[in-house]
This record gives sequence, C-alpha cells and structure tokens, in this order.
Amino acid sequence: MKTITHLSTLFPSSLDKLAEGLETKVINNKLISVPKKFGDGCLFFTQITPNISALFIDVTFNTEIKFHRISGQDDLLIFHYDLSEHVNIIKINNMDYEIGAFDRLDLAIIDNNIDSIFKPAANERTVAIRLIINKNILTDFVKTYSEQIKEQKTTSQKVSFYHYGNIDSNSILLIQSVKHSSIKDLSFEPFLKGVSLKLLGNFFNKFYNPDSSSSKIREIENTSIEKTKEYLQNNVHGPFPSLTFLAAMAGMSESKYKDLFKKCYNTTPNIFFVNEKMKYGKKLLKSGNFRSLTEIIYELNYTKLSYFTSKYYEIFNRKPSEDFVKNRR
Amino acid sequence: MKIIEHSYSADLAWVEPFAKQFEGRVEGNFIMVPEDSQSGTRYFLECEEGIIAYYINVTYKKNYHLIQKNINKDFVGFYYNLTDGEASVSGDHFRYDVGRWQYNLALIDSTLESTYVVKSGSKTFALCIFIKKSLLETYAKRNNIEFENIEKIVDPKINTMIRFDRMSNDSFHLLQDLRKLKVGGPVFDLNLVGTVHMLISNFLKKIARNRIIIQTVNKTDLANIINAQMFLVENINDHFPSIKVMANKANMSESKFKNLFRKITGETPSIFFMNNKLLLAKELLEKKQLTITQISDQLNFTNNSYFASKFKAHFGISPKTYIKQL
Repeated sequence: MKTITHLSTLFPSSLDKLAEGLETKVINNKLISVPKKFGDGCLFFTQITPNISALFIDVTFNTEIKFHRISGQDDLLIFHYDLSEHVNIIKINNMDYEIGAFDRLDLAIIDNNIDSIFKPAANERTVAIRLIINKNILTDFVKTYSEQIKEQKTTSQKVSFYHYGNIDSNSILLIQSVKHSSIKDLSFEPFLKGVSLKLLGNFFNKFYNPDSSSSKIREIENTSIEKTKEYLQNNVHGPFPSLTFLAAMAGMSESKYKDLFKKCYNTTPNIFFVNEKMKYGKKLLKSGNFRSLTEIIYELNYTKLSYFTSKYYEIFNRKPSEDFVKNRR
Repeated sequence: MKIIEHSYSADLAWVEPFAKQFEGRVEGNFIMVPEDSQSGTRYFLECEEGIIAYYINVTYKKNYHLIQKNINKDFVGFYYNLTDGEASVSGDHFRYDVGRWQYNLALIDSTLESTYVVKSGSKTFALCIFIKKSLLETYAKRNNIEFENIEKIVDPKINTMIRFDRMSNDSFHLLQDLRKLKVGGPVFDLNLVGTVHMLISNFLKKIARNRIIIQTVNKTDLANIINAQMFLVENINDHFPSIKVMANKANMSESKFKNLFRKITGETPSIFFMNNKLLLAKELLEKKQLTITQISDQLNFTNNSYFASKFKAHFGISPKTYIKQL
C-alpha cells in the first residue's frame, strides 16, 4: 500500500506534496490530474477567501492509497464532506471511522493539530469536498464547541477536537450538483466556491439553531389536536372519553396522539381533562347554586367525594369546602 | 413621485450618500430607510476586493425614480431583479420592463446613466453585484475565455456593456433559496457570498455555451414563449399540458414551439415543467406540512414511487432521505 504524507494549508502550495506522491505535477496551481497508474480523476484546489479554501476530490483509485495528513502548526479546521457511494475510511487518533455512503455518517471535522489518515476504497468513485478554514473566523464556534467536547471528555488537554456527523439534506444536494458538473468547465471554480460557502452556511445554521425544524408539528395535526382539546373542555361533565375515542377523532393512532398532545400542551390528555374538570368544579363551588358538595360531584360525574377532594387539593392546594358557597334558599 | 440621484461602485463609497438620499442611515451592513416610504431590507456586503453584493427585499410605498449616475466608472453591475409589480429600467436609447417574468437579469456598464422607475406597491426582490472591470478581465484571461475581444469590451472608450436577459432557472432558485434566510449575521454572509459565486458561475456557463441569443429572437415569439413558461409555472400542480396545446396557445407550429422554447430557456418544455415541479416538491418537503404521499398527489404524480424515482434522479437522494436529514 502506498502512503502519501501531506500537510493541509490554506494555500495552493499544499498540493505540491500530493502531486509529488502521485508522481505528477500541479496544473495551474489548482489541479492535479491523477495518473492512470493510480486511478482516474482529479483533485481541484481553490482558495475562496484568505481564510477559507476548498479541495474537491473526484477520483476512482485503482490501488489502495493512504493519505496521511500530518498535523500542522496553523490554527485550521478541516471539514471533510464525503459523498461517495461506498465506504471510505478516515483514521483519527488511531480510530477508524467509516465515512461516505448515504446511510452513514458522512461529515468529519478535524482539527489541524490532529493527524488523520484518509483511505479511499479502491476501484470506486470517491467524491469528497474538504474545506480548510482558519479558526480565527470561527472563534465563537470553536469556543462553544470545545466546551461541549470538554464536558464529554475531561481528558482532553489541548483545544483540539474532531467531530463526526451527518450532512444535512440541502448540503447533500449541493454536493450532488458538484458531482454532476465538469471540472473542465470554466464555470466550475466559482461554482465550487459558491457551494463551499453555502455548505459552511448550512452547517452553522444547523449548529446555531439546533432542531428548529425537527420538532415542528404539522398544521393539520395541530388543528386536530386542538379539536380534541376543545371537545374535552366542552364535555367536562362526562367521564373521560377514552384515548381510543380521542385518537379516532384526531384521525391518528393512539400512540401518535398521545405524543403530539404532550408536545402541544405539555401534559397527557387525561391529566389535562382532570385539570379542566377541577377548574369547572371551582366555578360551580363558587357559583352558589348548589346545596351540598355531593350535588357538585354528581354534576362532574364523580361518585366519591373523597376522590374529588383529594384531586382538588392536589391542584389548588385548598379543600373544596373552603371555596364552597352554599345555596341558602 | 420621488426622484433620487445616486451612484454605485465596486467599493463601499456609495453606501453613505445613498442612504442619505433616501433619508435613511447605515446601520452595520443594513441601509435603514424610513418605514413610510418603503418597508423591507437593504443589505450590502463586500464579498472580496472589487466585488460588492447588494441585497434588496423591499415593498415600495411611493413611486420612485432612481437615477444612477456613477462617479467611479470602472465596474459592471449585474442586476438580478425579481420585482412583483411595475418597474422598468431606461437609458438614452433603451427602455426595458423588469421583473420576474420580464427581463430579470440586466448587465449594465457603470459608464451608462440609467433610470430605474418603480411604482408604489411593487415588491422588489433583487440582488445586485458590482464587479470591477479589471477583475473581470484578469479573470477571463486567467481562464482563457474568449469573451469576444474582452479588452475591447472592458475598455470604456470603445465599448460599453449592456445586456438585458433572463436568468436561468437555476439562478432563479438560487435567489429563492437566499430569500428564505434571515438577513444578517455570519451564516447569511456565507450564503450571500456563496450565492454570488454561484450566480457568476451560472453566468459564465451561459456565456460558454454561447446561449445569449435572446436579442436575435423576434419579439412576439419571445413574448409567446415567456407566456408559455408562465403558463407552465402557474399550472405546475397539473399534468403536463401537451406540446400541442401550448403550441396552439403560442400561435406556432409544434416544431417551432419546441425549438424556440429550447433555445430561450435551454430546456425542453417537459423538462422545464418537471424540474419546476420537483423544486416545488422540495420546497413542500422542507416545510414539513405534508407527507410524501400528499405532495406526490398534490403535484399530480401518478404514484409515490414514480415521484420518488423522479426526485431521486433529479436531486440524487430520495424524498425520504431528504426529509430525514433536513
């Protein structure tokens, strides 16, 4: 197996080592066309801003090659997006991570202070984008992130970290579109720049607004839950109508109904119903239309006064008799 | 009616005087304009040395005449304009209506004086990109583009650049994506610069394919094709209406219709239709209000699996994976 050692920097010169390892030359300071001996395809490098560079890899290697990225002094972060249709291996801190293929994790973020080895599978098309970013534009991100990491592992002595996760859908679409465009087009370079920046945008959008959309409830579901809530409020005299009935009314399965109800109102339908009953009971107690507590509990469809009293006490921290206004007529 | 004289440039020198003309002020990267004359956002950003992006998303509450007289004449402006309402750009020898279905991409040399007329009630969404000519030139040279005598084009004495065009479908959706984001902050800036790069890329793609032929097409034919496009987008939920029907509507033979449509939009009618359908589907999926089946039904796909296969063919991932990782 061939090993190529290289260093990641923000500048096109970082391609030199790679080209040397692949026994070829860098073209126009940005392109390496992989010789037939090793495979088919190319590497494309572009510096987007003084602090962001991108390396696009689209190669079918026919031998196994190890790309050993040695740790550098520069304060850089490397985002490795892998959209190959098979599994590649990234080795960080002597741990192998599988990367690539849609159903797996396909984004690795590695600190430049850590060594890593990228092993693309042989005889498969490897498509990946590597974004190399200066940490100083991300100070905020790095700080919050390394704090999170520290909480997880107190052993980390340096502020160097790695992350391993999923690419979001919109970013996948972006990388897919790069996959379909040709490196030889003159529009490719600005296109890659645009895609890279949008990828970063998506990542930070997700990072700073976590699960903003995942917990969203559909409007239709929301209205049907609302409908059952109103039904419960209007039928406080009766017994609890049963989950099966309510779920059918909302047009969903019982478990889904319970889940959604909890999401909307932070309580279960039954507890909600009892609370409503108690509120109604309080109203009746204070109305002065009843001669005894027993009359009220019959109105609420309870048979035991003690049950009502205990529930009432649970919610309002008072006994019903304290609130009771007796009808003297 | 309000007449405002202003300038743009490929650096940020124009911003302060511009804000003053509107009786507004500059706050960070925003230009704040009093609410009674217009509401919305104006945002500017220097993408890199010599490239300025200017993002406009406003509703005008007065009629405006914006006269552009540039002090610095060393740049070219790309105006991507999706105005809903009445707006036009005019100069000494030309006048074009602009908007979503009119000319929505203008390329105007800074040496030209132009007037942008917009009526009250119009909703303007536009992205303007100002690029230094020298940058264009070096860029073209570095990449060996035959810009049909690029030196001649960028030399202000010999030639001025002006071009009215329609943006490609891709560019349109790039702008729509940008529109969804909250303006301001580092995430937006990344996206804005990214979008600018991608728009430039699309423009170059167009030049490379030599597809700027609109000026050679007969005006009524062009209008008919645009109408056909509008018709397709308006009826995006239905089945494809058949070439015959559309050719009839456009008063052309079927073969002429097909050829012209392809020439102007770069896609065949049915591909154009399907692409827009799928992009709409993607947007519906993003909103997470409808299930995949509901979307497939609403867009009149024969069944889920056909929808899923089309979606996958277009975007590279299936609708389900798409929702999962959103």
